[in-house]
Amino acid sequence: MRIFFATDVHGSETCWRKFLNSAKHYKADVIILGGDMTGKALVPIIDDGGGNWHSTLLENREVLRGEEQVTQFEQAVKRRGYYPFRTDPDELAELSRDEDRWHALFDEHMLATVREWMELADERLAGTGIRCVVCPGNDDQLEVDEVVLEAKTVELGEGRVLDLDGYQLVSSGWANRTPWDTYREEDEPQLAERIAKMVDQITNPPERTIFSLHCPPYGTGLDDAPELTAEMDLKNAGHSVKPVGSTAVREAIERFGPALTLHGHIHESRGTKRLGKTLCVNPGSSYEQGQLLGAVIDMENGKQVKKFVLTSG
Amino acid sequence: MTATTSSGEGAGFQERAVFVRKATGLVRGWSVRDAFIYAVFAINLVTLGWSIFDDAPFVPKGALLWSIVISGVYLIFQGITYAGLISAMPRAGGDYVWMSRVLGGGIGFVLAVAGWWFILWYWVPVYAHIFNIEVLAPLSAIAGWHGGPNFWNGSDGIFVASVITALLASLFIALGIRTYGRIQKICFYGGVFGLVVIAIMLLVTSRSGFASDFNHSAAKLFGTSGNAYQATMSSVSKAYTPSSIGGLNLSATLTLIPMMLFFNLWSNWGATLYGEVRGASDFRKNIYAMGGALLATTLVGVIFFLLFAKTFGWNFYNDANAAFWGYGHGPLGSNFPYPALLAAMIFSSPVLQFLLILIMSLWFFGWVGSVFLSSTRVIFATAFDRILPEKVAGVSRTGVPYWALFLMIAPSIGLAALYAYDTKFQSYTLDATLVIAITFLGTTVAAAILPWRKPEIYNASPIAKYKILGLPLITVAAVGFGVILVFALVEWFTNDVYGVNNADSYYLMGGMYVLAFAIYGISQIVRRRQGIDLGMVYGEIPAE
Repeated sequence: MRIFFATDVHGSETCWRKFLNSAKHYKADVIILGGDMTGKALVPIIDDGGGNWHSTLLENREVLRGEEQVTQFEQAVKRRGYYPFRTDPDELAELSRDEDRWHALFDEHMLATVREWMELADERLAGTGIRCVVCPGNDDQLEVDEVVLEAKTVELGEGRVLDLDGYQLVSSGWANRTPWDTYREEDEPQLAERIAKMVDQITNPPERTIFSLHCPPYGTGLDDAPELTAEMDLKNAGHSVKPVGSTAVREAIERFGPALTLHGHIHESRGTKRLGKTLCVNPGSSYEQGQLLGAVIDMENGKQVKKFVLTSG
Repeated sequence: MTATTSSGEGAGFQERAVFVRKATGLVRGWSVRDAFIYAVFAINLVTLGWSIFDDAPFVPKGALLWSIVISGVYLIFQGITYAGLISAMPRAGGDYVWMSRVLGGGIGFVLAVAGWWFILWYWVPVYAHIFNIEVLAPLSAIAGWHGGPNFWNGSDGIFVASVITALLASLFIALGIRTYGRIQKICFYGGVFGLVVIAIMLLVTSRSGFASDFNHSAAKLFGTSGNAYQATMSSVSKAYTPSSIGGLNLSATLTLIPMMLFFNLWSNWGATLYGEVRGASDFRKNIYAMGGALLATTLVGVIFFLLFAKTFGWNFYNDANAAFWGYGHGPLGSNFPYPALLAAMIFSSPVLQFLLILIMSLWFFGWVGSVFLSSTRVIFATAFDRILPEKVAGVSRTGVPYWALFLMIAPSIGLAALYAYDTKFQSYTLDATLVIAITFLGTTVAAAILPWRKPEIYNASPIAKYKILGLPLITVAAVGFGVILVFALVEWFTNDVYGVNNADSYYLMGGMYVLAFAIYGISQIVRRRQGIDLGMVYGEIPAE
């Protein structure tokens, strides 16, 4: 069985399309998306009432004239992983004042995008025999799961044990605490309990088991993130990194010893690591560039995983 | 939250540029000052600058001051090129990844491992040489170990210092980048304090006062007698006459530039590769950090040249360097006329002399870890791409990359032995710059063609808007940077003055490229036999 694993596409439509095409490209039987599929930013495109639209992307200010330019700009925003929306100065001012309102708008755009993605998956994957598993991550709101469940060709991974050609896959997008107080994070003891509940459901031996846990194991080099100051600036201009992975995840891997574990969460820490016989993989993420970083892994009848390669598609 | 106020065309209302929800990785920003510090350390006026400036007598008509000014200002193109690449491809960045994505995996691997791994083996004895002439030999002399300078300047001394250098660099890597970053900051502020002290001393000391202090201290430290100041100048007067400090012989000065790149080609080491949901400001900040460090270091270099000219005397400073290189038999013999030591000689107290050299040694200790830092990263990246065996990316529980360190230490000690005991190897110092310059040239080509080769990446980046005469700014900057690299390469390969265009030097460098090709070729064969297709690593997935 060949698996293609990618993670942390963060709303990038380009990356999602590449993910759906990855099975054909890499001749994979199963494609797994490891979490954090939704975007981080909502970008207003403002009608000034005089025939021009104004917006700012990546701190570059744009003045757009006509529908064609606006549509092109919206596509650029989507490729970047953000959600564009058209508005006018009055509505924008109201949104800026009302946090609940812009959060609701954010949710609306975010869930609509996930729905579109699921429809695209159904269109592309139906009848291909390719298994597609998606497990939302700590940056994905809980409502995302419901939308994924609506898809016909995409299987939701969160908290479940899925059978994949003789292997069992358990998945969770929950992570240990982050400085951002995200949607699926909890203290290490609770995370350990969550993982233990899933592991208890496994009936396969370890060598026929795969963990897809969004958060990487602590201290493996797969979890090195830039250190932050109290003001949330990058300490030492990003030259200083520290491990931020989960001890609960590490303990679970070391205790159970699955053949393979798949992680994401820390975009900068692309790499692999062996914990005992377990191969741990974090392919990293370059979603902003529309580059789908991933891993192609061949599982061979319960043998130790040796055939794998990190990819940059 | 990020918010901007509209300006320019169409302005007239307050504009919220983006609504950002809570999500991992969203940081407020980073300090240009911190990035500037790392870039200043990488260019390092004291270790790299003051040690290569002593080579100026090889081009007697060259204007040392103008050579660092011209190259320093020109290398702003390098800052823009690298800031552009970081902006277009952050986080995944680095020469290896940039070249691999744009030019192909094979080219990326060969150029990156030659420039960021193999040649760093040779940098170890080069660092050790600097350690000897700027730290160990002066401290030994001041401490009263009169045989010390001869030991450190001799073959055994260079070898021992190389081992110490390799171990120190390994220690810093083992401590982790986080701890090393803190050490670097302490070293930076301490080193700057040392520079300020020296500047004040040179400012308040007259030339005659310095000559007298020099004669007195040289007698105590190196056993000279009589007027050592005058004897230094007399010893080389038949063989060498330096140009004046402000004189500009353009052709000769341009010839000096490939030497000066040993000092000022490294501002990109301070670049910050992180950032999300921001854009153009990070591009500008990286330029400010790298370009600022380049210009600030150049300016400080110029100020110290003027102070040397005022207090040491420009002729004395250059004559002492010429004497060090054997243009005559100077009273200091094989002892390097390290400017900090010359300044320390103004003190009559050995304690103050010792302290000054010790403080200035922070420029070395804050910098020495860099010799293995980039190489361990390249080794990891190539192992993750399955070109190297998986094992070489292994780290201990405490995060020590033991295999990567071994792959650095073992060959570097071997090369250090050659450097120490075969004097030919010591003359290939500029190979260390040349090989990295070739790597930078590869990255520069990747940057220049990025808008056409990877339009989807370029157009999605914040730099896509920056154009000069209709051409992408990154292309213009990369071509500009490429010009100085090609010029330097042509000079290195064709002009004997640099000491690198000879058979042994070619074997040393060529061997590294052959080794890189061999590893790449073997890995392709081995992986294919294992059923792993390395062609998948950089194959682009269609996004339709």
